[in-house]
Amino acid sequence: MRGPEDAAGHGTAVIVARDLRKRYGAVHAVDGVTFEVQRGEVFGMLGPNGAGKTTTVEMLEGLRKPDAGQALVLGIDAAREPGRLKERIGVQLQTAALYPNLTVTELIDLFGSFYRRRRPTRELVAALDLEERKDALTKVLSGGQRQRLSVALALINDPELIFMDEPTTGMDPQARRSLWDLVRKLRERGTTVLLTTHYMEEAEQLCDRIAIMDHGKVLEMGTVSELVQRRFQELSVRFDARPGLEEDRLSALPGVSRVVREDGAVALYTRDVAGTIGGLLATSRELGQEPTNLAVRRATLEDVFLDLTGRALRD
Amino acid sequence: MNALISLTLANIRSFLRDRAAIFWTLAFPILFVILFGSIFSSDGPNAFDVGWVDQDGTPASAGLRQGFEGTGLLHLTDGDEQSTLAQMRDGDLDAVIVVPDGVGEVLLPPIGAGGLVGASGDQPVSLLLYTDPSQQTTSTTIQQIVGQVVSVTNQALSGRPPVLAVQPQSLQTADIGAAAYFVPSILAMALMQLGVFSAIPLVEQREKLILKRLGATPLRRWTLVSSNIAMRLLIALVQSVLIVGIGAALFSVTIVGNLLLVAGFIVLGSITFISIGYVIASYARTEESANALTSIVQFPLMFLSGIFFPIDFMPDFLRPIATLMPLTYLGDALRQVMVGGAPFAPLPIDALVLTGWLVVSFLISARFFRWQ
Repeated sequence: MRGPEDAAGHGTAVIVARDLRKRYGAVHAVDGVTFEVQRGEVFGMLGPNGAGKTTTVEMLEGLRKPDAGQALVLGIDAAREPGRLKERIGVQLQTAALYPNLTVTELIDLFGSFYRRRRPTRELVAALDLEERKDALTKVLSGGQRQRLSVALALINDPELIFMDEPTTGMDPQARRSLWDLVRKLRERGTTVLLTTHYMEEAEQLCDRIAIMDHGKVLEMGTVSELVQRRFQELSVRFDARPGLEEDRLSALPGVSRVVREDGAVALYTRDVAGTIGGLLATSRELGQEPTNLAVRRATLEDVFLDLTGRALRD
Repeated sequence: MNALISLTLANIRSFLRDRAAIFWTLAFPILFVILFGSIFSSDGPNAFDVGWVDQDGTPASAGLRQGFEGTGLLHLTDGDEQSTLAQMRDGDLDAVIVVPDGVGEVLLPPIGAGGLVGASGDQPVSLLLYTDPSQQTTSTTIQQIVGQVVSVTNQALSGRPPVLAVQPQSLQTADIGAAAYFVPSILAMALMQLGVFSAIPLVEQREKLILKRLGATPLRRWTLVSSNIAMRLLIALVQSVLIVGIGAALFSVTIVGNLLLVAGFIVLGSITFISIGYVIASYARTEESANALTSIVQFPLMFLSGIFFPIDFMPDFLRPIATLMPLTYLGDALRQVMVGGAPFAPLPIDALVLTGWLVVSFLISARFFRWQ
């Protein structure tokens, strides 16, 4: 695997996953996953449902035993000493699991009683903006409040590493953004965060590094710009399709390597943006036209994902 | 320890805020007691059947007999002490009065019913009165009637020291009466339901991934299990106090046995049925299937366990099933230790069978219970 972790050395790696494997019957849910997460990083695992993200995370949390491979988390073997590990990590499960008939404060107090080290309930209620709802039963909370409560529970033991599995799934955009702010605050405190998501934007906005997973394997890993640049050295020049600007004329323009038509628009992939645009404008003028909606665009994580898996990642 | 207490408290809070759970575990058995009580304990007999053992054989004792019959409240049957006590044990007689030899000497010629003139005597002679204290109403009523007749007799001999006294004797009878039968039975049923129903919140917590979330904390599984059992036992205690209290208040069914034994069987029974609840939770994948399975388990238990009627009344082909049911033995044990009911099996056997079910259920759930 490429990436900065090889150079960083082992001193700062809080998660070391080595060739993790887990099978359910004939299905290889996790099929040889290797990566490292450094202290203080926000590390994202991006992939569609069923890619093996949750299973991988649960092996790292000590909730599932891998069939093969090793999960070293905070220097603890997650399969051998799950109890010692659980004392030091924070966990947010994919589905917020709560006691419906307890209040917010009662639930935080309850979870606090499970740990040796704990943050005061009042502090967490304030940090997660739950003050107005602290005496409400958890069953009457909104989706966003419930998710914040579930983050509060994950932070109860003041963990140095927190796992968040699909933290914003099912949230409205506003709640999603407030959770992103929360993750950023965690990062500022120096907490390491491993989160899984199937939202491109979330991975781009939040994560220092990303591992793209599909079919139980890590397909690619790195920062967003590394991932994009590794696959797409070219930029695309887009404009509305017009009769006359045919394929052969376009591909003959300077620097153009590929011409792609999508939804009434044309995209020219090029390494020479200036040359391509100059040629395009000259050709258009010859035809007595002017290209509309002309735009230059860098490839995105979505393009990388599409290129890697052959499908778009949408929920 | 801190986690155990917090979790138990959390379970109790959740329970208290769940109206359906409160109804089924607390209100329902109480309604049952009241309903059954009003059906079965219709007004008592107009006259009590009392055995009359005349060891004196004098006109004085015969006059005394008339005095008792004259109340119109006692229907006397003559016999010797052995045969009348046997009849009483079988439930054919409510009480036995023994008139010892020497009564004639203290009571002089009978003048009429209830009015006797006696000669002097230094020591009062005691009539023996056998009653069954587990049938509180009958027992105290008869004691009052006999006491009245005796004091009237003594007053008739005014100016002299009392010559007659009553010495109450206890005798356990087989016929413990409908109310005395169903109060321990309903307690056993309530404990069974409390235990078996523990499957439902467990499966719910598994389905909603609460168990999984707890599994991601350092909380130990035995702490989780212990807190569930602790909560159920506390509820069992409340149930028992309510059921026994209502039985005593409305139907005069009082505990005559050793309270420690009663408590011991309540705890053993509860834990046994909780472990059966865990077996159900081991096999049920969804809340719906847990609901269905608890019904499948509890209805045969209820109707084939001699809870509502003695096993002797069952058709022959059902009896072998009844003798396998754990509830048969909990009901039997509670009836024995609470109201002195006739044993279906000796108490150690009851305890042994319940423990057997407990061990087997524990092993099955330890092997097959899934946490997620």
